[in-house]
Amino acid sequence: MNADTKTAAVLIASAVLFLALAAAFQRDLWGRPAALPAIPLVDPVFTNPAPTRVSAADLKRTGGDMTDFECNTCHELNKPGNLRFDDKGQVVLPKEHGELVMHHGRNDRNNNCFNCHNPLNREELLTKDGHKLRIWESTRLCASCHGPTYRDWELGVHGRMSGYWNRALGPFTRVDCASCHHPHAPIFAPRPPAPGPHPLRPAAVPPARQHASH
Amino acid sequence: MNDPASKQNPAWAWSDPATVPGMNRRSFLRATVAAASGLAAVAALAPLRELKNFTSVDEFLQKHYTELTPEEMARVLKRIEDEVEKQYGLRPHVRDYKPMNGVEFVYCLNLTRCIGCRKCVHACVAENNQSRSPEIQYIRVLKMPNGTFDVEKAEHNYAPESVPEPGFYYMPVQCHQCKNPPCVKVCPVKATWKDDDGIVVIDYNWCIGCRYCEAACPYWARRFNFTAPSIPKERLNPNMSYLGNRPRQQGVMEKCHFCIQRTRAGRYPACVEVCPAGARKFGNILDPDSEVSHILKDKRVFVLKEEVGTLPRFFYYFEI
Amino acid sequence: MRVLKSNFTFLSRCVRLAFVSDWRYYLWVGALGAVCLLGLNAYAKQFVHGLVVTGMSDQVSWGVYIANFTFLVGVAAAAVMLVIPVYIYKNEELEELVIFGELLAVAAILMCLAFVTVDLGRPDRFWHLMPGIGKFHFPGSMLSWDVIVLNGYLLLNVYICGYMLHSRYRGRHPSKWFYIPFVFIGIVWAVSIHTVTAFLYVGLGGRPFWNSAIVAPRFLASAFTAGPALIILALQVVRRVTSYRSPGEMGLERTATDLGSGRAAGLEDLDTLAVHLPALRNVSKEIRHECLVGARVFEVPPGAVVTREGDTQTNSFFILSGRVLMRRQEGENFRIVRILNAGGLFGEIAALTGAPRAATALTDGPVQLLRLPAESLRRLMRDHKMHSLIKSGMARRVVITDRALLTLRSIVQVSMIINVFLLFNELFKEFYTESLHGASAKYLFFGLHGYHALNPWIWTAITCNLTAMVLLILPVSRSLKFLDIACVLAVVGIWIEKGMGLVIPGFIPTPLGEMVEYTPSLNETLICFGIWAFGLLCYTVLLRVAVPILQGEISQANEPGSGLQDSDVQLRTLVESQSSHKGRVGSADH
Repeated sequence: MNADTKTAAVLIASAVLFLALAAAFQRDLWGRPAALPAIPLVDPVFTNPAPTRVSAADLKRTGGDMTDFECNTCHELNKPGNLRFDDKGQVVLPKEHGELVMHHGRNDRNNNCFNCHNPLNREELLTKDGHKLRIWESTRLCASCHGPTYRDWELGVHGRMSGYWNRALGPFTRVDCASCHHPHAPIFAPRPPAPGPHPLRPAAVPPARQHASH
Repeated sequence: MNDPASKQNPAWAWSDPATVPGMNRRSFLRATVAAASGLAAVAALAPLRELKNFTSVDEFLQKHYTELTPEEMARVLKRIEDEVEKQYGLRPHVRDYKPMNGVEFVYCLNLTRCIGCRKCVHACVAENNQSRSPEIQYIRVLKMPNGTFDVEKAEHNYAPESVPEPGFYYMPVQCHQCKNPPCVKVCPVKATWKDDDGIVVIDYNWCIGCRYCEAACPYWARRFNFTAPSIPKERLNPNMSYLGNRPRQQGVMEKCHFCIQRTRAGRYPACVEVCPAGARKFGNILDPDSEVSHILKDKRVFVLKEEVGTLPRFFYYFEI
Repeated sequence: MRVLKSNFTFLSRCVRLAFVSDWRYYLWVGALGAVCLLGLNAYAKQFVHGLVVTGMSDQVSWGVYIANFTFLVGVAAAAVMLVIPVYIYKNEELEELVIFGELLAVAAILMCLAFVTVDLGRPDRFWHLMPGIGKFHFPGSMLSWDVIVLNGYLLLNVYICGYMLHSRYRGRHPSKWFYIPFVFIGIVWAVSIHTVTAFLYVGLGGRPFWNSAIVAPRFLASAFTAGPALIILALQVVRRVTSYRSPGEMGLERTATDLGSGRAAGLEDLDTLAVHLPALRNVSKEIRHECLVGARVFEVPPGAVVTREGDTQTNSFFILSGRVLMRRQEGENFRIVRILNAGGLFGEIAALTGAPRAATALTDGPVQLLRLPAESLRRLMRDHKMHSLIKSGMARRVVITDRALLTLRSIVQVSMIINVFLLFNELFKEFYTESLHGASAKYLFFGLHGYHALNPWIWTAITCNLTAMVLLILPVSRSLKFLDIACVLAVVGIWIEKGMGLVIPGFIPTPLGEMVEYTPSLNETLICFGIWAFGLLCYTVLLRVAVPILQGEISQANEPGSGLQDSDVQLRTLVESQSSHKGRVGSADH
């Protein structure tokens, strides 16, 4: 095969190659991006800014049902009850209030009902220095023991602020103690977390790592 | 050299194909190859058929944010509202919020309180119209074992029954709006810059998508739109700002901007408002009565990667 | 108007050159063109769907595009490794070859610009980068510096090459002031393009793997290794394709004439030669004696083929009396490239470079020849005047001597040693203190938290580099075969080390400690191949245009329709008289 024929052959082959490429490009045979994984939309509970619980104050503010706090339908005024304690010194709840869960303080050291409630009027709370408060004014009662926390709360450092940081432009809301902390078991309850991040390249991400010795 | 052509012009006979027998066929073949390759080149561009809504002439010619006159900005905002309405069927309100005078934002995060519930992540996504698939989330919550700050030991994908888990603390990370931001330094077109109130903003219509800022950020705070973002229509937040949460396009960067559409109107960002544990604090550091001023004054705050010199506006602290 | 027309002719001839050649060229260019189109198609898909079609992610946000870019900036900068020996150290072997380095720099920069463009998320917004009409963040952003230095370097090299080729085309000696200052600027600029590119990485405080002073010196050392290594390989390819294949394939050449045994040459032959070559008179007696070793004189009849194009003997011939035609086969035609009279020298290129005979030498009339073996010619060239005379005669061709390649070898050798030394520095710094900042290096070399995708790559690179270094140090690499192996190993090793071994590990782990690995996708790979093919295509076309101009085949003197000059009249009459010689020279031409 002399050079002349070789050249012609190469040129013809090139032309055929380019035409084949043109056809292949038109048919779009490769390289389409893989479909992205369907990621379920997040449950709206995870974007809901409502506080953890509804306190008495919240209920009162929103005009809800306050019958749970009308203690004197059962209790008499000025009639202190007898608290019974078990052998570990923990208060034994009367069967009428058996559904309550009492875990106030480390090692449940503050489970004594009358540390907070006025024994003479169950609808009132009593601070140690004699202030009488209604149930929905419980924040001041919490403050009477939890001083530093209350100090921080007043400054906006503890608890959640919402609304306007620029007080001149609008109202702000400071959430009350009882809106996050149940007064009888104040420790912040664990809850299920929202779903974790979905990576763009799932194959490149490891399965959950183990916290081995580092 | 008996061929007739070379008798006429010997020294350059080879350069004149028409005079040489056999060259005609060669020229024809060459022309065929050239035509075939031209055809293949045009066919190679066939995928461009699928290009829709890539850019309008106005958007292409749009000037940098800092150079737009108020009238031009008004036109741009209207154009964006039209585009969003066309795509999502809902007409938003897009405003251009300017920084307030006498305001410098600071963010504080209480690591004792954070329980790792990730509500902040999703509240941010909902507020700021982030793409759901591919998923873009500005906030990343790290589950850290007690006793270390080594982020290599962090777990990003934890999914236990309930949080917090004993023995761990949770550290959410998002853009720290640094006072000395490396991302601003490296952007070749000044598409991102530090605004007067401390927020590091991005002009999404100016960004060229080189991702140098993403490489520069020591906190992995910036996100890139690898493809066109997808936001479900029913979850679109119509209260938008130009530098903030208006829907972004394919090929541009985005990141936390302290919810500009809220904060520059005086409100708390979405992550602060949703946190059930009250771990997040936000405010104006120039106001001595703001909660963040109190925190920086009284609490033992620290910043991440202080040695890099970024001077973040995001302070972490522990209590008790 | 005339100037415009002549420039147009120049350009159109250049363009024509790019489209017309032999089958090997068509095959090479056709294949490259097909790969380019595959890349273009892949890029069209990326343009439509976004960078999701690549393997990149928010965690690893730069991939093979930037890896290739980094490597190619180094290749472009290494063109300066030819310029420095020639213009600062006055190395003559490399003088004609500087342009090959500069053309490689042009092709490499074009590839760099292509790689950066395909990496952008919004390439339609390119105008935002232009100073004046966009917003150019200079001097703050290192990327803006990079834009300036890369484009400036491209313009610099295009200007220098264009000026040199244009001057050669016009048959003019290039004016010093139009290119020497630019050449020296080019030296500084070449170092700057690579330093600035290194600073892109070094300037990121949040990435401890990159934030180290040694990155810029490592870049330069590896660039000055890989660049000249590529040039060594490219020059050998150029040498091979610009020396034509044995015309025996064409079946049109007569075999070389047997010259007989001749007689031993003596001093009186040198005196005869000196009549026509006055410079010979001043050559010392000692050199004259030395160069006569093995020299013989032949009486050659007319129409004899003294040397045949493509032959591989290494004798050179001085013409004592008579006339010799040098002709070459081009496609189907013959071209008389030179006519030599008494005092002329031919065959010296083969003698000095070992390349196959570039042309066929035919005697025109009875000729007396002095044949010098290669070694004798070299001894003669120990005389300074003879040396420059012979070299300047050779300068009309592209002469890639083995000595030039060996000079480049010593550059690659030293640079590779420095490169390996700097690697050891880096390894010590990363691993000795066991600090947390060594996480990325640990991932790269040994794997981290069970992830080790890059380990085989980096260890291959280190093996290649070390092997190349050893080969380059040993004298065995003075032989071209081993030199080529060492160069290929060096290029591969450095490509991996600078590409996958630098860019990717900087992202793993992320600044928040997350481990996400990276694999280029099919589209990404096709685009990379497409851009490499585009670069090779550019280089091929540039050489295809440059070499004939440098060799004098394309020049203003032989433009179609130009006025004939004396030598051309000679040629024409000669050819016409030849065609009437049937059965002698004429019949041998087919």
